[in-house]
Parts: sequence; C-alpha cells; structure tokens
Amino acid sequence: MKTARTMLLLAALAVLAAVPWFGSDVLIQFGINALLLAVLAQGWNVIGGYAGYASFGNSVFYGLGSYGVAIAMAQWQLPFWVGLLFGAALAVVFAVLIGMPVLRLRGHYFAIATLALAQVMAAIVSNVKLAGRNVGLVLPPLNNDPLFYEFSLLLLVLATLTVYWLTRSRFGFGLIAIRENEEGAAVMGVNTTLYKTVAFAISGVFSALAGGIHAYWVTFIDPESAFDIGLNVKMIIMAVFGGPGTVFGPVVGALSLSAVSELLSSEITSFAGLFFGVVVVVAVVLMPRGLADVLRRFRGTGWRYFGENIRSHQL
Amino acid sequence: MDLLAQVLINGMLLGGLYAVMALGLALVWGVLNIVNLAHGAFIMLGGYVSWYLYTYAGIDPFLGLPLTAVVMFAVGYGVQRGLLNLIVRAPMFNTLLVTFGIDVVITYLAQLAFSADFRTINPSSAGNSIAFGAVVLPVSRLFAFGIAIVLTVGMWLFLLRTRLGRAIRATAQNLVAARLYGVDPRHLYAMTFGIGVALAGAAGGLYGTVSQINPYIGAALTAKCFAISIIGGLDNPLGVIVGGLFLGVLESLTALYIGSTFSDVASFGVLVLVLIVRPNGLLGKAA
Repeated sequence: MKTARTMLLLAALAVLAAVPWFGSDVLIQFGINALLLAVLAQGWNVIGGYAGYASFGNSVFYGLGSYGVAIAMAQWQLPFWVGLLFGAALAVVFAVLIGMPVLRLRGHYFAIATLALAQVMAAIVSNVKLAGRNVGLVLPPLNNDPLFYEFSLLLLVLATLTVYWLTRSRFGFGLIAIRENEEGAAVMGVNTTLYKTVAFAISGVFSALAGGIHAYWVTFIDPESAFDIGLNVKMIIMAVFGGPGTVFGPVVGALSLSAVSELLSSEITSFAGLFFGVVVVVAVVLMPRGLADVLRRFRGTGWRYFGENIRSHQL
Repeated sequence: MDLLAQVLINGMLLGGLYAVMALGLALVWGVLNIVNLAHGAFIMLGGYVSWYLYTYAGIDPFLGLPLTAVVMFAVGYGVQRGLLNLIVRAPMFNTLLVTFGIDVVITYLAQLAFSADFRTINPSSAGNSIAFGAVVLPVSRLFAFGIAIVLTVGMWLFLLRTRLGRAIRATAQNLVAARLYGVDPRHLYAMTFGIGVALAGAAGGLYGTVSQINPYIGAALTAKCFAISIIGGLDNPLGVIVGGLFLGVLESLTALYIGSTFSDVASFGVLVLVLIVRPNGLLGKAA
C-alpha cells in the first residue's frame, strides 16, 4: 500500500517534470504560474495550516524575494542564485524582526495585524533608491521557460518535503501542539516563541524563493506587482480549499484552482476574479477542513457530510 | 504654527469620519465576535449608493444618507441571515475567511458594475469654507465630521437606552441567557450586522464627499477600521471616537513631517504597538 502510493507519487512527479518536452508554450507558462502559486500555498501551510497562525501578509515575503533577485541582478550585476539567497535572507530577517512582536498576538489578532503588511512594505520600498523607488527594476532577460518550469517544480518538491518532515518531526508536532492549545504546548515544554518564529521564517523563505524565480522570469518588478495583495488571497484560498495542515492538500488545491481559474478566464474573461471569492465562501461553509478531509470522510457519510458541517457551526 | 494648527484641524475632521467608519466594525466584532473583513467593501458600496443617488436622482449626499443607510442595512441583514449565520459558531479563522471571500466578491462586482474610475460626490456646498484667522475649515468636511459625531453618540444612546440595543448587549454578554429571555438570535444577529453595514454605508457616503472612491478602497479602509477599534476598544462607541481622532491626527502629522506615503505605515505601527502593549485597547480594561 505504502510503496504503491510512493510509486504513484513518483509517476505523477515524472509526468509533471516531463511537461516542457511535450507541452505547448502556453501550458508551460501556465505551469510556472501554477507551480509557484502551489509553493506559496505550501509555504503558507507551514505557518497557517500547521502552527494555526493564519498570516494574511505572506505576500510580503514574495515581494522581498522578488526584490532580492532584482536588486542583486539589476543593481549589483550578481548571478541569479546569489539573488535568490539574498532574497531568502531578507525574508528570514523580516520574519524574525516582524515575527517576534506580531507572533505574540493570538490567532485572529495576528491574522489582521498582518493584513496591512503588504501595503506598508510597498509604501516603504517605493521610497528606497536601491529598489528603484516606485518605478521598479528591470532584470536581464533569460528566454528559457522550460528552465523556469523545472526550477519551480524543484522548489515545490522541496517545500512539500519540508512539510512532510513537519508531520514526523519534533518540530512539526510542536507546531501542531501550538495550533491545538498554545498554553498546553508551553506547559509541555515547547518553546512557543522560537517555534512560531522559525515556522514563520520557513514559510517566508519558500515564498521569497518563489518570488525570486517569478521576478527573473517576468524580468520586471515594481512595488505594486511585487507586494500584490491578491497573492495573499490566492495562496490562502488554495491552501484552505485543498486542506490546511495536510501534506498534499495545498498542492492539490493550488493546481486544481489554478486550472479552473485559467479555463474560466479563457472562456468568460470577467468571472475569473469572482471565482476565488465564491470558492472560499462555499468551501468554508461546506468543507471547512478542505478537500483532503472530504476525500477521507465522504465515503462514510456521503452527502450528509456537507449538511453536518453546516449544522455544527450554524447559530 | 498656522500650518501645524491647520494640519491638526484636518486630522481631527478626518478622525471623526474614521470613527464612524470603524463604528460598525466594532459593533459587529463586539457583539457577534466576527471581524468583518468585508467592512471596507461595504463602506465602498455605501459610497457608490450615495454617488448614484446624487448623480442620477439629484439627492444631496448629506440628506441622502438615511436612504443609503437603509439600502445598506438590507444588504447587511441579508448577508448575515443567509450566509454568516451558517458559520457563526465556527472558529474565528473561518469567519475571517468567509468575510474575506465576501470582500473579494463585492470588490469584483463593484469593478464590473461601476468601473475602476475614481468618483467624488461634489455637492454645491463642496467649495465653501469658513476661515478662522489662518485656519480654514472646509464646510463639507465640517458637515461630515458633525454627522459622524451625531451617529456615534446616537449609536451609544441606542445601545444604552432602547429595547433592541439592550437585547444586542445582552446577546453580546451571554447568548444562552438572552435566548432564555426570548431573544431570537438569528434575527438579532442579522439586525446587528445590518446596523453595522448601514453605518458602514453612511460612512461611505460621507467619505465620498471628502475623498475619492473606487472599487479597491475597501481593504485599506478595513485595516484602518480595525486599527481604530483596537485603539478605542470594543466596549464603548465613545472609545471609537477617540481611536478615530487619534488615527486621523496621527496620519495628518505623519503626512506633514515624514511624507504622505508613510501615513499607512504610521497607522500600522501604532496598531501593532497597541496590540502588543494593551491588547484590550488603549481605553479598554487592562489585560
């Protein structure tokens, strides 16, 4: 059973990795976007799904990663990988500096305190000369979509392996304990501040790396696109739709919602934006524990599953 | 010195408006325990209702406010009764997500219906101003400020004196006991949310007379309202006035001394500071 599942996963991964050899240019470009979104959703999963601290400001890390690569390549003429490291380092520093005070806030206070982060960072960055103020930066172009695709896929695999490690490590169990009962976790000897900050930093590093790859791929960034609040919307909705706090939920959520959104926007252009809002409302009302939980429990309960979710939460 | 006085006055006038914006958010949060992330979107909608009433029916934006409030009350009542009542007992993160989704939907529909152009409600009184020495008071801002104060104090009296207000406060304190005394929580929750959204709508109408509205202003306004509620505390509408004035003055001073792009940074900084030092608000009970 277990080996069969591993084989299936490896096969799926092989198919995904082979896309650049048989897919059209459009498919590859869609793939890069979808994979990077999956990385963001998976990164969010670490802090939001496992530690239970729903961050509404993770796109800040994405922006920092984008600027890390852009500044390194456009201003200092350094190679791409140095830019990636620089962006990731910025993300870690930011996660610690902001995380130390903000992570002291409980659940929803934390969520809303992070709501304004992206806007604040955009305001700050548009005044920094090194970052090109509000004009932005242009990166040297590299016309190699298959390479960006494989980079994105590799990053997603790394992020997923990290989350898998959470499910079987002391650190991961510590985070779950914090999510379920923070006082209890502290009493059991979990250093909650340290755990939360590290989780925030891990989450930030993956978002930053995704931002860095995206910046080099599109070769242009400005504060508005780098600190796009819409990205927060997407990564949270994708992770919650797929199943927060599970290893594959966010990946499945991101890839499936990206595909539906892409189909919608090619059929009826104007409704793709509406789609995400409707999905999150319907998903939270009918399946608050995500697709992963539906798949696990639907066979036992059938359609009653959705009714039970409503009944247990309504007034 | 004159410049400072003018900036302080501007900040206070803006602050009164901020207070009435935050009032609905604080009410819904305090009573229903829902942090309504779509609050800013409702403010935006109210601004458009007011704009349409003025542009196509010629109704003065200040006189039209009750009408705007009634329309928005109906919207709010429907949203709570049809949707939010389904998830009221879920963990707070779920209600955050659902109101977040409502925000996305409203913003998107507004963009389709109203286009992304900036709109301003410009009644004939807009240009008038009263001068006190070197300090100038624009009449429309003064009006908006006055109405904001009246609404806030009215809200306070409503919660304190009326039967419905008492029922709302009783429900906020103890849902089970209120139910035993004959309060129908489904209706009452919808009424409360409706009042919150009506206040947001009225605030949007006022906002449209002193600033510009477009479909995307919601998120920033929600964050401001949240900051004000935190600063003022949820116990008392008068705290919201203090929070609003504080934020208005702070933003104006930041714009004067540091630069207008940093006013959002300042309000966010204060928000985080207050959350950490006094989680129950500056005026609230000590943690």
